Amino acid sequence: MKRKKYNIIFSVILIILLFVILYFAKLYLDDYKSRILNLCAIYTILGLSLNLINGFTGLFSLGHAGFMAIGAYTTALLTMPIPIKEQNFFMAPLISPLDKIVWPFLPSLILGGILAAFVAFLIGAPVLRLKGDYLAIATLGFSEIIRVIFTNTQRLTNGALGLKGIPNTTNLFWSFGIAVITLIVMILLINSSYGRAFKAIREDEIAAENMGINLFKHKILAFTIGAFFAGIGGGLLGNLIGAIDPLMFRFFLTYNILLIIVLGGMGSITGTVISAFIITISMEALRFLDESINLGFFTIRGIPGLRMVVFSVLLMMVILFFRNGLMGNKEITLDILANKLSKKPLTKGGVKR
Amino acid sequence: MNMLRTENITMKFGGVTAVKDFSLNIDKGEIVALIGPNGAGKTTVFNMITGVYKPTSGKIFLKDKDITGYRPDKITSFGIARTFQNIRLFKELSVLDNVLIANHLRIKSNFIEAIVRLPKYNREEREMHEKSIELIKRVGLLDVIHEKSSSLPYGKQRRLEIARALATNPSILLLDEPAAGMNPKETEDLTEFIKEIRDEFDLTIFMIEHHMQVVMGISDRIYVLDYGVTIAEGNPNEIQNNPKVIEAYLGVSEDA
Repeated sequence: MKRKKYNIIFSVILIILLFVILYFAKLYLDDYKSRILNLCAIYTILGLSLNLINGFTGLFSLGHAGFMAIGAYTTALLTMPIPIKEQNFFMAPLISPLDKIVWPFLPSLILGGILAAFVAFLIGAPVLRLKGDYLAIATLGFSEIIRVIFTNTQRLTNGALGLKGIPNTTNLFWSFGIAVITLIVMILLINSSYGRAFKAIREDEIAAENMGINLFKHKILAFTIGAFFAGIGGGLLGNLIGAIDPLMFRFFLTYNILLIIVLGGMGSITGTVISAFIITISMEALRFLDESINLGFFTIRGIPGLRMVVFSVLLMMVILFFRNGLMGNKEITLDILANKLSKKPLTKGGVKR
Repeated sequence: MNMLRTENITMKFGGVTAVKDFSLNIDKGEIVALIGPNGAGKTTVFNMITGVYKPTSGKIFLKDKDITGYRPDKITSFGIARTFQNIRLFKELSVLDNVLIANHLRIKSNFIEAIVRLPKYNREEREMHEKSIELIKRVGLLDVIHEKSSSLPYGKQRRLEIARALATNPSILLLDEPAAGMNPKETEDLTEFIKEIRDEFDLTIFMIEHHMQVVMGISDRIYVLDYGVTIAEGNPNEIQNNPKVIEAYLGVSEDA
């Protein structure tokens, strides 16, 4: 119990420290670097939410891009100032009352999350009866359906033209603030009785059901919570980049997040956070691969997208040799850190580990 | 008092009748065994009672309440717990988590209350922990409470599975071959253990078992299935001398 109290105090100190660092980062980092940091935080949110569905509950869902699209469009349409809306919708006017209302950022984000969660709830009912690959295909199909709908609802989403001039409200405080909240909610959820039920479903559905866990209810719950945070992540992303269009939310986006959780470890929160940062930063750092490289004796012609090959190879390596990813389903907790720092061997039942 | 009753339950898979007109009557506090050669339909009976399969026809009653066709999780909440023929623990999770999960069906807080850690939820969580630790201590797994369940030796995994089933607060416990793969010493311990938990937790026990030592040692009554048909029913003594049972197990002699 005492330890718990220390942990809470220590976590609070860490969070304050993080925001102090962010304050200075905001002062001194240029736009490019702070955008990458923002992306890191947003991918953390997305990774955590997908890991809840795929890693903890064991539902192989590939519908994340769809949920993000819902969140991104909701947030963008609600936060865009009226003159900019008029500029965007020159082909066909935006349906009322959306053309008249402008909401602050936070409620828009939350509504984006709620809408994504609501859609997840609706499609979850039929889709979550499927298992394994079939579920993956169905959710992937759903995500494409959302994209196609958004391409064709000219008066709601401006169709293939997308939305431009979305206010760049997302800054380091927003993205990291919400990432920290997501992280805390995930930790609290996973370590609660509900989190244990999710893990039980992942481990063995038949046993879980026979131990009195309502499979359907818990699957829907995990799916909906995951979609909620995906919607919020999408909203943050839209208002960070400033322009969204349906093509942004192709399967490719889900694949990026999937890469993060597979590399980080399905079922590890710390793994997801670490790998979200690694992947996002290296995606930028490896950009030189897309340009032509002069090796002195030989010049490689720039092939756009070559850096993605690195990630594909990485993913194959992980699946072949490190099936568990960076962390497996283990976590780095404050307890473990404290033990490491004080050089005390971790003992459990007298066994030195 | 009547605990579990089935009325002519029949299970057909396509053209195959796995179990035909199985009628069972178990009173409170009894230990009843279900035996029969391989493929006789014993596990199918279990799966019908626990809701994994919906019987093609017939009815199942728990304490005179019709439970036919309910989902497995509902049936567990009514008070039927089971173990599996091939152990089905939550392999990657600790011994404690395995037992804690079986407490989840009684949780009253919703997930938001759980995330926010309302005092109501904290109290429930504390009660779950205390109860689970008590159970783990009872089955003698306290020294491995934080170990991954798949790392336990076979006998202990069996015990953990029983502990997990007990954590759902059952009034009747269904054991599917609890002694499978155990050595004579472990088998003897298990027999004792089953009797003890029956008395301690006020249980009724219905089990499938091949180990005749266990079956004859502790059962009050035995049902014998062969090709889905009930061929005999009675106390161990009657069953041992029943010609039909001997025939099903050993075959008929040529010159008979």
